[in-house]
Amino acid sequence: MNDFLSLFREYNIPAAFWVNIQLTFWAAILSLVLGVILVMMRISPISSLRGFATAYVEFFKNMPLTIIMVFMVLGMFGQLKLSFSDNFDINFFWLAVTGLGLYTASFVCESLRSGINTVPLGQAEACRALGLNFWQSASQVILPQAFRGSVAPMGNTLIALIKNSTVAAAASVTTETSSVMSDMIEFHASQILQIFFIFAFGYVILIIPIGLLTTYLSNRLAVRR
Amino acid sequence: MTNHTTTPDASASGQAQDDNRPLVELRHVEKHFGDLHVLKDINLSVRKGEVLVVLGPSGSGKSTMCRTINRLETIDSGSILIDGTPLPQEGRDLTRLRAEVGMVFQQFNLFANKTIIDNVMLAPIKVRKVPRQQAHDEAMELLARVGVDSQASKYPAQLSGGQQQRVAIARALAMHPKVMLFDEPTSALDPEMVNEVLDVMLELASEGMTMICVTHEMGFARKAADRIVFMADGQILETGTPDEFFDHPRTDRAKDFLSKIIEH
Amino acid sequence: MNTQTNNSESAVLFDQPGPRGRRMIRIFNSVAAVLIIALVVAVLARLHNPPQGENQLSWELWKPAFDYEAWSDFYLPGLWMTLKAAIVAIIGSIVFGVVFGIGRLVPSRLVRAVSAVIVEFFRAVPELLLMVFFWRWFAFAGVSSPSYWAVVGGLVLYNGSVVAELVRSGVGNLPHGQREAAVALGLSPMQSLMTVEVPQALYAMLPATITQLVVVLKDTALGSIIMYTDLLQESRRLGAMYFNILQTLVVAGVIYFILDWLLSRLAERMPAVMQRRTWGNTVAEPTAPIAIMDATNANQIAAAHEPMPFGGAERRFHDHYHGSNATTDHWQHAHYSHGHDLQHPEVRARNWDEPLRDFARPFQTKPKNPAANGNVSAGNGGNGNAGAGTDHSAGKNPGTE
Repeated sequence: MNDFLSLFREYNIPAAFWVNIQLTFWAAILSLVLGVILVMMRISPISSLRGFATAYVEFFKNMPLTIIMVFMVLGMFGQLKLSFSDNFDINFFWLAVTGLGLYTASFVCESLRSGINTVPLGQAEACRALGLNFWQSASQVILPQAFRGSVAPMGNTLIALIKNSTVAAAASVTTETSSVMSDMIEFHASQILQIFFIFAFGYVILIIPIGLLTTYLSNRLAVRR
Repeated sequence: MTNHTTTPDASASGQAQDDNRPLVELRHVEKHFGDLHVLKDINLSVRKGEVLVVLGPSGSGKSTMCRTINRLETIDSGSILIDGTPLPQEGRDLTRLRAEVGMVFQQFNLFANKTIIDNVMLAPIKVRKVPRQQAHDEAMELLARVGVDSQASKYPAQLSGGQQQRVAIARALAMHPKVMLFDEPTSALDPEMVNEVLDVMLELASEGMTMICVTHEMGFARKAADRIVFMADGQILETGTPDEFFDHPRTDRAKDFLSKIIEH
Repeated sequence: MNTQTNNSESAVLFDQPGPRGRRMIRIFNSVAAVLIIALVVAVLARLHNPPQGENQLSWELWKPAFDYEAWSDFYLPGLWMTLKAAIVAIIGSIVFGVVFGIGRLVPSRLVRAVSAVIVEFFRAVPELLLMVFFWRWFAFAGVSSPSYWAVVGGLVLYNGSVVAELVRSGVGNLPHGQREAAVALGLSPMQSLMTVEVPQALYAMLPATITQLVVVLKDTALGSIIMYTDLLQESRRLGAMYFNILQTLVVAGVIYFILDWLLSRLAERMPAVMQRRTWGNTVAEPTAPIAIMDATNANQIAAAHEPMPFGGAERRFHDHYHGSNATTDHWQHAHYSHGHDLQHPEVRARNWDEPLRDFARPFQTKPKNPAANGNVSAGNGGNGNAGAGTDHSAGKNPGTE
């Protein structure tokens, strides 16, 4: 037991989780903004915008996140000298945030699109038949139903984002949980199980409540037909 | 070889009361869905106050024709005139015109995220800028008229199919349209609920509303229609009064169709 | 001449454009195309002339990324390692998933609880953490090629849990009539599960499973973080040799993209094929079901795109959406007690204070909120509705949830 507690004294485990949470937070904002723009392009009647958004989404959905992270550090920073700060750690953090955000934006776009797909075409036809114009039908009928239908996949995307923040290790962010766990195990190999379960439970505590909230909200907000 | 029978234009028969101009007119309307020629040279005119029932086998294009009148479907050529003005293609004119043409759908299409009363009030408030209290009172009156005012604060999913369709009729009536379009309103209902909707439609017809109904309900057609239009394969094959059509069909196709229908 | 210019997704928000609208769209189209091309040109220009860096478009850098040696010594061995891990992981996850998915559906409470804990745990823990743990453990324990087994282990545990959830929700999303018919024939719940429901669920979830394979392929790249010499790691090594890391990463990226894209296209074709063999919904979700209790809206989308059939026939997909349909517990209550089956004599004659008899279970359970479900269907509001007809729906109102 003493050994177990000394782990906490020697390594700042909550700080590692805090790094992941920060990565998640900033990447979530970036991906939300980008995702909304992408979905508007994706469903617009302008074919070149639709093509561009489809290409973006297909690209990032089929590309491993690890490559994107490695590319951000070795390619963007190493070769193209794109940097956010002179401090290496801060620089890598923001490079990781950018990579995560760009990657997750495609899933946000797909989630929002899936929400729009829950609205039957008949709702839009009824709006038009009544003489409502574009903004009225969108704001009163279509978009409320679309948002309520996208709660479930958006929740899943958020959870995936939290778990993907560990891949920042590929972007040389050494203070996040998987790197810290790797170090801890290297030096305390006899306590490998305990170390793993500390981090695993940390994520369980983080993720399962979000999952419960997602399911609860998606049930509660589901549009009954 | 079917006979393509044309009847004299109804408005020229001299029976029209206040204006000779037909309320809805389709002239040489053509439409394709890809390679499929779904509307072939449709010519139709509907007087004010007339109840027109469109009959025909499935796939005959009757629903499509009904939907072209408020431009939920576009046409390839020909013209559609509502009360003398040609159907606008887009923009505010189209929106304004759609407010004058009421439509009742086969799938009801009530707004699932709004209560019944909100469904009926939404368009008058947003489009005609009616004050909220007045819209509420009128909506309750309409719901009472169709018999679902006790359900006013429920959501559509909580109502049965027949109730939902009656609310849909009330919603369309709330805009005080000049003409009502009915696109197979009872096809998706259980047999027991069909009558409650048909009763509402009969009452509407007796009050003098101009109605264009696409339906399979022969009993309703006999009772309420001023004129029957029989369509098959995208063409209008026969028009006539209900008695003429049901008792003395002229074209072979119409005879064939009627022989397959069992009257309820 | 076809005037339909909108696809069905745009049609929900956008009306069919008229001539002025079409002109505006053409103008916007050209402007947008010009902007996109300008963006691409700007990116290429930056690649050509990066500050303090070399010209990234030069052939000197690209040649070593493409020549024979690169393929034979780096890319192809790396690809082989990637595929090896991916194939073993895929087979492992399907086995794991089917076993634990059925484990969550069997009548025995203990088996269900244990399976639930395992599946939820491995869905919540990040894959990389699992891989790092296994890698250190296997290295410490002296297992040969520890990083390979670590990659496989991490992939199997996570993706297997996701497949288990796909199985469970696949069974839960089947129309209730399937379970009813099986039970009515005299099959036990377990038999009904194994012969009727799970096979249909497997067909229904096949497209989603293929999407999950795409995830498996992508996540083998995590192996490079634990020093597994897969395609990504090999391309990094090659890039380090010739200082052309950007180029080798692009080549590796293209290879991953092509593999995943082909799988995704396969997953897109499958739903139509699979729909012939199952009553469940075959369209895959945009995201894997990770949230606990499996929040999905696949059924909502299916119901939204299903045309309402003539004559009030049963809908194929549940249109009274309850969010997570993935429960086979209380299946009768979910269907009857909320009054959704309007044809059922029990619903019509419903005395809402009495509990329902559950045919599939020996004990009786009360429905939720019997008072709140009170039959509020009134007759006509007023009597001044001459000709409006009597309200035939008394007794058939579905209760509120």
